Amino acid sequence: MLVHSFTELPEAIGDYGELTDCDGGRALRLKVQRVTPKGVIARVTGVSDRTAADALKGAELWVDRGQLPDAEPGEFYYEDLAGLKAFDRDGAQFGEVVGVENYGAGDLLEIRLNGVRRTELVPFSEAFVPEVDISAGKVIVAWPLEFEIANEAKDSDENE
Amino acid sequence: MARSVWKGPFIDGYLLKKADKVRSSGRNEIIKIWTRRSTILPQFVGLTFGVYNGQKHIPVNVTEDMIGHKFGEFAPTRNFPGHGGDKKARR
Repeated sequence: MLVHSFTELPEAIGDYGELTDCDGGRALRLKVQRVTPKGVIARVTGVSDRTAADALKGAELWVDRGQLPDAEPGEFYYEDLAGLKAFDRDGAQFGEVVGVENYGAGDLLEIRLNGVRRTELVPFSEAFVPEVDISAGKVIVAWPLEFEIANEAKDSDENE
Repeated sequence: MARSVWKGPFIDGYLLKKADKVRSSGRNEIIKIWTRRSTILPQFVGLTFGVYNGQKHIPVNVTEDMIGHKFGEFAPTRNFPGHGGDKKARR
Protein backbone atom coordinates (compact mmCIF):
# COMPACT_ATOMS: atom_id res chain seq x y z
CA MET A 1 0.00 0.00 0.00
CA LEU A 2 1.09 3.60 -0.55
CA VAL A 3 1.34 5.55 2.70
CA HIS A 4 1.96 9.30 3.03
CA SER A 5 4.29 9.53 6.01
CA PHE A 6 4.71 12.66 8.15
CA THR A 7 7.54 11.26 10.26
CA GLU A 8 10.97 12.93 10.19
CA LEU A 9 12.33 10.02 8.14
CA PRO A 10 9.50 8.63 5.99
CA GLU A 11 10.52 5.00 6.58
CA ALA A 12 10.36 5.51 10.37
CA ILE A 13 6.61 5.04 10.21
CA GLY A 14 7.21 1.30 10.49
CA ASP A 15 9.22 1.64 13.71
CA TYR A 16 6.42 2.60 16.07
CA GLY A 17 4.59 -0.70 16.31
CA GLU A 18 0.83 -0.56 16.06
CA LEU A 19 -0.75 2.47 14.44
CA THR A 20 -4.36 3.31 15.15
CA ASP A 21 -7.04 5.29 13.37
CA CYS A 22 -8.08 8.62 14.86
CA ASP A 23 -10.61 6.97 17.23
CA GLY A 24 -7.98 4.57 18.48
CA GLY A 25 -10.26 1.68 17.58
CA ARG A 26 -8.47 -0.10 14.79
CA ALA A 27 -4.81 -1.11 15.09
CA LEU A 28 -2.57 -1.73 12.08
CA ARG A 29 1.05 -2.74 11.83
CA LEU A 30 3.09 -1.61 8.82
CA LYS A 31 6.10 -3.29 7.29
CA VAL A 32 7.94 -0.77 5.13
CA GLN A 33 9.11 -2.14 1.76
CA ARG A 34 10.66 0.95 0.19
CA VAL A 35 10.43 4.73 -0.02
CA THR A 36 9.38 6.38 -3.28
CA PRO A 37 8.92 10.04 -4.22
CA LYS A 38 5.15 9.53 -3.91
CA GLY A 39 5.32 8.00 -0.43
CA VAL A 40 6.19 4.87 1.46
CA ILE A 41 5.31 1.47 0.03
CA ALA A 42 4.36 -0.79 2.94
CA ARG A 43 2.67 -4.07 3.66
CA VAL A 44 -0.08 -4.05 6.26
CA THR A 45 -0.24 -7.04 8.54
CA GLY A 46 -3.49 -8.93 8.04
CA VAL A 47 -4.26 -7.29 4.69
CA SER A 48 -3.49 -9.73 1.92
CA ASP A 49 -5.90 -9.01 -0.90
CA ARG A 50 -6.91 -6.03 -2.96
CA THR A 51 -10.42 -5.72 -1.51
CA ALA A 52 -9.13 -5.49 2.04
CA ALA A 53 -6.53 -2.92 0.94
CA ASP A 54 -9.20 -0.87 -0.83
CA ALA A 55 -11.16 -0.62 2.42
CA LEU A 56 -8.20 1.17 3.99
CA LYS A 57 -8.02 3.81 1.27
CA GLY A 58 -7.91 7.30 2.82
CA ALA A 59 -7.48 6.00 6.38
CA GLU A 60 -5.51 8.24 8.75
CA LEU A 61 -3.02 6.46 10.96
CA TRP A 62 -1.80 7.81 14.29
CA VAL A 63 0.96 6.95 16.71
CA ASP A 64 0.35 7.15 20.44
CA ARG A 65 2.58 9.85 21.98
CA GLY A 66 3.83 7.31 24.53
CA GLN A 67 5.35 5.16 21.78
CA LEU A 68 7.81 7.88 20.78
CA PRO A 69 11.26 7.65 22.41
CA ASP A 70 12.35 10.34 24.86
CA ALA A 71 13.87 13.39 23.19
CA GLU A 72 17.55 14.17 23.72
CA PRO A 73 18.48 17.16 25.93
CA GLY A 74 17.89 20.32 23.96
CA GLU A 75 15.42 18.57 21.65
CA PHE A 76 11.67 18.89 21.80
CA TYR A 77 8.96 17.14 19.84
CA TYR A 78 6.92 19.52 17.71
CA GLU A 79 3.79 18.10 19.31
CA ASP A 80 5.08 18.88 22.80
CA LEU A 81 5.81 22.50 21.91
CA ALA A 82 2.40 23.13 20.35
CA GLY A 83 0.00 24.47 22.95
CA LEU A 84 2.59 25.96 25.30
CA LYS A 85 1.83 29.42 26.68
CA ALA A 86 4.31 32.09 25.63
CA PHE A 87 5.54 34.50 28.29
CA ASP A 88 7.85 37.48 27.94
CA ARG A 89 10.84 38.03 30.22
CA ASP A 90 8.69 39.99 32.69
CA GLY A 91 6.31 37.05 33.13
CA ALA A 92 3.40 38.42 31.12
CA GLN A 93 1.63 35.96 28.86
CA PHE A 94 1.35 37.35 25.35
CA GLY A 95 0.38 34.33 23.26
CA GLU A 96 0.38 30.62 22.63
CA VAL A 97 2.57 28.35 20.51
CA VAL A 98 0.41 26.96 17.71
CA GLY A 99 3.09 25.10 15.78
CA VAL A 100 6.69 24.73 14.76
CA GLU A 101 7.95 25.44 11.25
CA ASN A 102 11.27 24.79 9.57
CA TYR A 103 11.93 26.28 6.16
CA GLY A 104 15.56 25.17 6.06
CA ALA A 105 17.03 27.91 8.23
CA GLY A 106 16.35 26.57 11.72
CA ASP A 107 13.22 25.80 13.70
CA LEU A 108 10.69 28.58 14.20
CA LEU A 109 8.00 28.77 16.87
CA GLU A 110 4.71 29.98 15.48
CA ILE A 111 3.03 32.01 18.22
CA ARG A 112 -0.55 33.28 18.08
CA LEU A 113 -0.73 36.58 19.92
CA ASN A 114 -3.48 37.17 22.46
CA GLY A 115 -6.61 38.71 21.02
CA VAL A 116 -5.56 38.67 17.37
CA ARG A 117 -5.67 36.07 14.62
CA ARG A 118 -2.23 36.71 13.19
CA THR A 119 0.76 34.65 14.20
CA GLU A 120 4.41 35.58 14.64
CA LEU A 121 7.43 33.40 13.94
CA VAL A 122 10.20 33.36 16.53
CA PRO A 123 13.58 31.66 15.96
CA PHE A 124 13.87 28.65 18.26
CA SER A 125 17.30 29.46 19.69
CA GLU A 126 18.74 30.17 23.13
CA ALA A 127 18.89 33.87 22.29
CA PHE A 128 15.22 34.24 21.40
CA VAL A 129 13.68 31.40 23.46
CA PRO A 130 15.81 31.24 26.62
CA GLU A 131 13.57 28.82 28.53
CA VAL A 132 11.28 25.94 27.60
CA ASP A 133 9.33 24.23 30.39
CA ILE A 134 7.15 21.47 28.94
CA SER A 135 5.88 20.27 32.33
CA ALA A 136 4.77 23.79 33.30
CA GLY A 137 3.37 24.33 29.81
CA LYS A 138 5.26 27.53 29.08
CA VAL A 139 8.07 29.07 27.05
CA ILE A 140 9.90 32.28 27.85
CA VAL A 141 10.47 34.36 24.73
CA ALA A 142 12.62 37.45 24.25
CA TRP A 143 9.51 39.42 23.34
CA PRO A 144 8.97 41.81 21.64
CA LEU A 145 11.47 40.80 19.00
CA GLU A 146 14.05 43.48 18.36
CA PHE A 147 14.29 44.62 14.80
CA GLU A 148 17.35 46.32 13.45
CA ILE A 149 15.52 49.27 11.98
CA ALA A 150 12.45 51.01 13.30
CA ASN A 151 11.69 53.11 10.26
CA GLU A 152 10.36 50.68 7.67
CA ALA A 153 9.64 53.49 5.24
CA LYS A 154 13.36 54.08 5.01
CA ASP A 155 13.84 50.45 4.06
CA SER A 156 11.30 50.72 1.28
CA ASP A 157 13.05 53.74 -0.14
CA GLU A 158 16.35 51.94 -0.19
CA ASN A 159 14.77 48.95 -1.82
CA GLU A 160 13.44 50.87 -4.81
CA MET B 1 22.71 29.43 -17.39
CA ALA B 2 24.77 30.13 -14.29
CA ARG B 3 25.87 33.65 -13.43
CA SER B 4 29.34 34.63 -14.71
CA VAL B 5 32.01 34.29 -12.05
CA TRP B 6 33.73 37.59 -12.92
CA LYS B 7 30.64 39.51 -11.80
CA GLY B 8 30.81 38.18 -8.27
CA PRO B 9 27.73 37.30 -6.21
CA PHE B 10 24.73 39.60 -6.55
CA ILE B 11 23.71 41.51 -3.44
CA ASP B 12 21.64 44.63 -2.83
CA GLY B 13 23.96 47.30 -1.50
CA TYR B 14 21.95 48.39 1.53
CA LEU B 15 22.10 44.88 2.99
CA LEU B 16 25.83 45.11 3.71
CA LYS B 17 25.33 48.38 5.57
CA LYS B 18 22.54 46.92 7.70
CA ALA B 19 24.53 43.79 8.51
CA ASP B 20 27.56 45.85 9.54
CA LYS B 21 25.39 48.01 11.78
CA VAL B 22 23.88 45.04 13.61
CA ARG B 23 27.19 43.21 13.91
CA SER B 24 28.82 46.25 15.49
CA SER B 25 25.91 46.69 17.94
CA GLY B 26 26.31 43.06 19.12
CA ARG B 27 22.61 42.73 19.98
CA ASN B 28 20.14 39.98 19.11
CA GLU B 29 18.28 41.82 16.45
CA ILE B 30 16.42 40.60 13.42
CA ILE B 31 17.41 42.45 10.26
CA LYS B 32 14.29 43.12 8.22
CA ILE B 33 14.98 42.73 4.52
CA TRP B 34 12.86 42.67 1.41
CA THR B 35 15.62 41.53 -0.92
CA ARG B 36 15.01 37.84 -1.57
CA ARG B 37 17.33 37.88 -4.57
CA SER B 38 20.53 38.70 -2.66
CA THR B 39 23.18 36.04 -2.17
CA ILE B 40 24.12 34.99 1.36
CA LEU B 41 27.73 36.00 2.00
CA PRO B 42 30.18 34.62 4.60
CA GLN B 43 29.99 37.83 6.66
CA PHE B 44 26.30 37.16 7.35
CA VAL B 45 26.94 33.92 9.27
CA GLY B 46 25.51 34.14 12.78
CA LEU B 47 23.09 36.97 11.99
CA THR B 48 19.33 36.60 11.88
CA PHE B 49 17.45 38.16 8.97
CA GLY B 50 13.72 38.67 8.63
CA VAL B 51 13.13 37.81 4.98
CA TYR B 52 9.88 39.12 3.52
CA ASN B 53 7.71 36.45 1.90
CA GLY B 54 5.00 38.80 0.64
CA GLN B 55 3.05 38.69 3.89
CA LYS B 56 5.48 38.81 6.76
CA HIS B 57 9.15 38.57 7.65
CA ILE B 58 10.37 35.01 8.16
CA PRO B 59 13.33 34.76 10.58
CA VAL B 60 16.35 33.19 8.88
CA ASN B 61 19.32 32.38 11.08
CA VAL B 62 22.31 32.26 8.71
CA THR B 63 24.70 29.32 9.07
CA GLU B 64 27.80 28.36 7.10
CA ASP B 65 26.09 25.86 4.86
CA MET B 66 23.71 28.54 3.58
CA ILE B 67 26.49 30.60 1.97
CA GLY B 68 25.94 31.00 -1.77
CA HIS B 69 22.19 30.45 -1.58
CA LYS B 70 19.66 33.27 -1.97
CA PHE B 71 17.69 34.62 0.99
CA GLY B 72 14.40 33.88 -0.73
CA GLU B 73 15.08 30.14 -0.64
CA PHE B 74 14.50 30.14 3.11
CA ALA B 75 11.27 32.12 3.20
CA PRO B 76 8.64 30.23 1.17
CA THR B 77 5.79 32.26 -0.25
CA ARG B 78 3.36 29.35 -0.03
CA ASN B 79 2.79 27.27 3.05
CA PHE B 80 1.71 23.67 3.54
CA PRO B 81 0.53 23.18 7.11
CA GLY B 82 1.90 19.67 7.64
CA HIS B 83 1.82 17.43 10.66
CA GLY B 84 4.26 17.30 13.55
CA GLY B 85 4.69 13.54 13.51
CA ASP B 86 7.88 12.58 15.30
CA LYS B 87 9.75 15.71 14.23
CA LYS B 88 11.95 17.36 16.82
CA ALA B 89 13.02 20.98 17.23
CA ARG B 90 16.57 21.66 18.37
CA ARG B 91 17.89 24.74 20.10
